[in-house]
Amino acid sequence: MIRVRMPQKKKELEIPGPKRVLDILAAAGVRPTTVLVTQGNRLLTKDQRVEDGETVDIISVVSGG
Amino acid sequence: MKCKRCRRAAAAVDLPSHHSAFCPDCFFVFFRRQVEEGIRKFSLLSPRDRVLVCVSGGKDSLVLWDVLMELGYDTEGLYIDLGIEGYSDRSKEKVLAYAGARGKEPIVVDLRREGVPIPEAAKGSRKEECSVCGTVKRYFFNRVAASRGFSVVATGHNLDDESARLLGNLMHWQRDHLERQHPLLPGAGGGLVRKVKPLWRLSEMETAAYGFLKGIDYVTEECPMSHDATSLVYKEALSLIEEKMPGTRSKFYLGFLESKGTQSKGTQSKGTFISFLEEELATGRQEGAEEPLAKCALCGAPSYAETCAFCRLKEKVGKGGSR
Repeated sequence: MIRVRMPQKKKELEIPGPKRVLDILAAAGVRPTTVLVTQGNRLLTKDQRVEDGETVDIISVVSGG
Repeated sequence: MKCKRCRRAAAAVDLPSHHSAFCPDCFFVFFRRQVEEGIRKFSLLSPRDRVLVCVSGGKDSLVLWDVLMELGYDTEGLYIDLGIEGYSDRSKEKVLAYAGARGKEPIVVDLRREGVPIPEAAKGSRKEECSVCGTVKRYFFNRVAASRGFSVVATGHNLDDESARLLGNLMHWQRDHLERQHPLLPGAGGGLVRKVKPLWRLSEMETAAYGFLKGIDYVTEECPMSHDATSLVYKEALSLIEEKMPGTRSKFYLGFLESKGTQSKGTQSKGTFISFLEEELATGRQEGAEEPLAKCALCGAPSYAETCAFCRLKEKVGKGGSR
């Protein structure tokens, strides 16, 4: 399983892997233009493949007010 | 995916709106060029400027400060402590840590000491928090800049902010707001300092990617007062469009700015939507800049009314208006 953390929403998901980042975002119900997907200190592009057992973070970039 | 610029390193940032993807080093080059082009296009800054950069602890303002320093501008940071429990303390920590690591000490205005912490000011004035926050911040941006000899105030508004604002202004036909919406708001006699938005060409995703790749530690949590902000609704609508048609957001905002530009050159075509807007927007920004402003009777700040918006707010909050 891929561990998907969404720290701003205080939410965590587990998604069967392997999967492309774009598919992870679709599974998490997140618009690709509104987030960064990171793995440690690396930024992932939307076509990158994430393997079973790996962890990614989805960081929202939208600020309001 | 390989970087489309150097064609060697793996891409870290994909930008469908630019039909491109960059490795970190090439993305920094792209980012700086976008800022430089944004500054050049409307002569936002000159090398002689003393720039007051308004920093909130969020990604856009810290990235703005970072890139302006890198481009060699003479900058100082201004942090306004909004008095929002928990959130303001965490934001301030980020600003102080960022500045300290670069040998800078930001100017800090504490709204609790000024008698207008945002939650209480909104309650006392019976206004929306975001509206009160905007009034108070604009007041202190200008007051600090004018009193400390800065020639320009820079804020981190990006393409997403400006296009969402444009959509909102158009949806409600806010003609006076459309007139003033521009990356450059000229200064005026009477102590009104020029305001600029050098990140107007860059999306929120691009500023966040720049901050992340540069290791800038910014506040990722949202302001707890902004959950119901209408700007988020317009951003959501534009993201949906952008996802289906990459580059649309940029065309929307750039088209608006260009329509203003063609008007000033006297080349507008009659009978089009743009010419309508141009007529509506025709003179305010440029001519307004030349009109001397009056001074607020209570605090002396530049104001078109007898008392400025900030002092009127303070009166409503019940704290008195003089300083």
